[in-house]
Amino acid sequence: MARRALPLTGAHGRRSRRGDVVGMSVLTVLLVAFPFLAPPSVTNVGVYALIYALAALGLSLLMGLAGQVSLGQAGFFAIGAYTQAVLVTRYETNPVLASVAAVTVTMTVALLVGLPLLRLRGHYLALATLGFGIIVTVLATESEFLGATSGIFGVPKPQFNARTYDSTTEYFLLLVPVVLLGLLLARNVVESRIGRALGAVNDSEVAAESLGVDTFRLRVQVFVLSAAFASVAGTAFAHWLGVINPNAANFPLSVSFLLMAVLGGVGTVYGAVVGAFAVEGLDDGLRRLIPELVPGAVGEVQLIGFGILLTVIMIFLPGGLHQLWTTARRRLSGSDLAAGGAPPDGGPAPAPDDGPLLARESRAPAGTPLLEVQGLTKRFGGVTAVDDLDLTVHAGEIVALIGPNGAGKTTAFNMVSGAVVPTAGTVTVAGTRVEGRKPHVAARAGATRTFQNLQIFGSATVLGNVMVGRHLRSRAGLVGAALVLPARREERAVEASARELLDLLGLGPDADRLAVDLPFGRQRLVEVARALALEPDLLLLDEPMAGLSGAERRDLARLLRRLRAGGMAIVLVEHDVEAVLALADRVAVLEDGVRIALGTPDQVRHDPAVIAAYLGVDPEDSTAVAVAEAGPGEAR
Amino acid sequence: MVDLLQLVFAGLSQGAVYALIAIGFVAVFTVSGVINLAQGEFAALAGLVAISAAGSGLPLPAAAVVAVASVAVVAVLMERLAIAPVKRMTTLVSLILTLGVSTGLKALMLLVYGPNAEGLTPITPGGVTVGGVSIRYQELWILAVAGLVALAVYWFYERTLAGKALRACAEQPVAARLVGISLGRASLTAFLIAGCVGAVAGVLASPVYFTSWESGLTLGLKGFVAATLGGLVSVRGAVLGGLLLGVLENLTAGYVSTGLRDAVAFLLLIIVLVARPSGVFGRHAEARV
Repeated sequence: MARRALPLTGAHGRRSRRGDVVGMSVLTVLLVAFPFLAPPSVTNVGVYALIYALAALGLSLLMGLAGQVSLGQAGFFAIGAYTQAVLVTRYETNPVLASVAAVTVTMTVALLVGLPLLRLRGHYLALATLGFGIIVTVLATESEFLGATSGIFGVPKPQFNARTYDSTTEYFLLLVPVVLLGLLLARNVVESRIGRALGAVNDSEVAAESLGVDTFRLRVQVFVLSAAFASVAGTAFAHWLGVINPNAANFPLSVSFLLMAVLGGVGTVYGAVVGAFAVEGLDDGLRRLIPELVPGAVGEVQLIGFGILLTVIMIFLPGGLHQLWTTARRRLSGSDLAAGGAPPDGGPAPAPDDGPLLARESRAPAGTPLLEVQGLTKRFGGVTAVDDLDLTVHAGEIVALIGPNGAGKTTAFNMVSGAVVPTAGTVTVAGTRVEGRKPHVAARAGATRTFQNLQIFGSATVLGNVMVGRHLRSRAGLVGAALVLPARREERAVEASARELLDLLGLGPDADRLAVDLPFGRQRLVEVARALALEPDLLLLDEPMAGLSGAERRDLARLLRRLRAGGMAIVLVEHDVEAVLALADRVAVLEDGVRIALGTPDQVRHDPAVIAAYLGVDPEDSTAVAVAEAGPGEAR
Repeated sequence: MVDLLQLVFAGLSQGAVYALIAIGFVAVFTVSGVINLAQGEFAALAGLVAISAAGSGLPLPAAAVVAVASVAVVAVLMERLAIAPVKRMTTLVSLILTLGVSTGLKALMLLVYGPNAEGLTPITPGGVTVGGVSIRYQELWILAVAGLVALAVYWFYERTLAGKALRACAEQPVAARLVGISLGRASLTAFLIAGCVGAVAGVLASPVYFTSWESGLTLGLKGFVAATLGGLVSVRGAVLGGLLLGVLENLTAGYVSTGLRDAVAFLLLIIVLVARPSGVFGRHAEARV
């Protein structure tokens, strides 16, 4: 669905805290100095830039994290502004209290708009928010209560401690801390557990959901947060202009918010502020310049520049100014970061320890049924891929699912993990019915999986990949993450446990490399590590041996045995029959979607139906030949 | 009863305009997965070009041809300059990109034609009253021409080799390429169709609904809603969706409040997306044209 769209600042990459401190300090100094250095007319443009920066910041978060775009950000901006104006002028509410109310009202509206739309593909949210912006304009124009076309007058300049902030310089300085606070919140969200999870969703939605990320819920949260940013901007706007009319919800304003976010670099928090100043400067310049070039030009003439700029950026510089900045910095520093960290070929083998792994006190004792599959069926049109499959898997056992190509193994697997909706049948994981629900439901019940076609989070490091796996084992929500205080300690704990797991799998030396830079076999191990980070009770592995070297296969087999000893239930789909028969406690054989055998490796090895259907007679495979000769089955 | 008939008739003629714009969305979306936010601007631009061509003394049919031809050129240029160069076209990129083109076109129209709304001279001025229902001749023209164009597009997709190739691209891009169909050409053709139907809609609508530099915004949104009602992948669905939207809008304006006319499209969009994401008329969600 929403594939990762634009090069972001690695929402779940790691940035140095020190870099952030430097960045924030420089920005603070620049902003505070601005009104003293710039002429008043420029400071006036600066005030609008600061106000709009907040709205653009929200939009940047929405695009960068949720991978969706709103074309009605001005609608939320206007709701904030109108609510503030009504409360302050009609009910003489304290402006600060009023702004809290304004933000609350806007967030509620955003929730109602976002709930039905964020499940769907991105263009529906875009077009619906575009319609939403139009509706806000219509309603404001039609409503006598809101002053119809002329709007609401007389919103006073803010007063604190008997001091009125009414000059451009004063208002600018009043806004600076608000914008800095907004930046800080936004940055914390991007770097938080939530930001990491949504960054993972943009890389691979199904993998993130299999690790317990509730994509829909997080997207709704980000959408509502983005509207909140717009409404704060709206309240500041109302006080500065003193009057608010239906133009505040104007489509061109939504376009300029979008341009600010895109120009600065989607998903980058500083970018939105830089973009706001650039776009406001451009706006002001074009409004002066164009009437001179085109006599008689009136109205929103600045749009010509906006349109051209948006198009050109998307074609040539999709990462915006931020992309330009990172490229320039890399050039200047001379060395490319990609060369850092010698690739440790092979890497140290996992400690040759055979003790049980990841045992948990709370885990069900060995032999308790963990996964119960009943009558599971999937039809694609006329083709029955899986037909009435029954299977029970107990804690502390390894069950393998084998069968020829096209037997329905992966389809069955996908239904168990929630990636595919079954036509009929039930799947119960640790007492929770999960069939037909999203993968994160199964993950919450304690089941997670790896993928046959790797679904690595490409923009994250190896460590970042595994940290996403800790999503359900950490709790910081959006608010907590934004406010940092409670979330910091948890983040450190998450990182520590992720590193521990990487060391265990021999991936420690690769922890800070980009996961996509690793060889294929090690990427598979990263997926296993990521799944283990969830501390699942049921681990589903889709062809984990494919692409691994002999030594890596032995290491993985040993790891799985240790996990089994720790009480985990493991289901694996595998092509390597020898490896499976050596590893599994029980083997289920599928052919044409039907389970034709289930038993211990020995039973299956001698099952005539299996021999006929699956093993065949391969002259080079002595086991198969021996088995085939022993049984009555005839080779195909 | 007369009121109802009057509203339904007006709705059908307005819906026919939405239907043509919706066909433009469908043509582009099925081939390239792009929702072209400049689709409404195609219509607005055609209306303005026709008005200024007619104003400079050109006979009406010639002005209409000039308008459709220039919008077709704009659509083709847009595909070549803005859509084709992008290698990784995702939903987000396509939305921002086409929004950029749409904004640029809007501003261009504002600079060239000024901020006022104008109407093209009707093909046949005046109207007739049938059983109490007053009908403008232009509305009959809208229904007739829109019907013909829709049929032509349908015939193109169903009967011609080029149309079938386009459907193949929509349903199986990889297989289509394997049998030698060029996706680039298909995308270009799709934009050409989108430009032409959008332009026809704009020229037809101008005498009744007037045209200004920002008409494209609501026209585009309503065309999209109409296309969504039809499942976003079917010409037939787009036409039915357009007519339904037009009628519902006019009934709302007549019986509830004129101001709420523009809210209908938005509410309908939300309701359909919640209840039936594959569209009211879409039988299933597979790519069909």
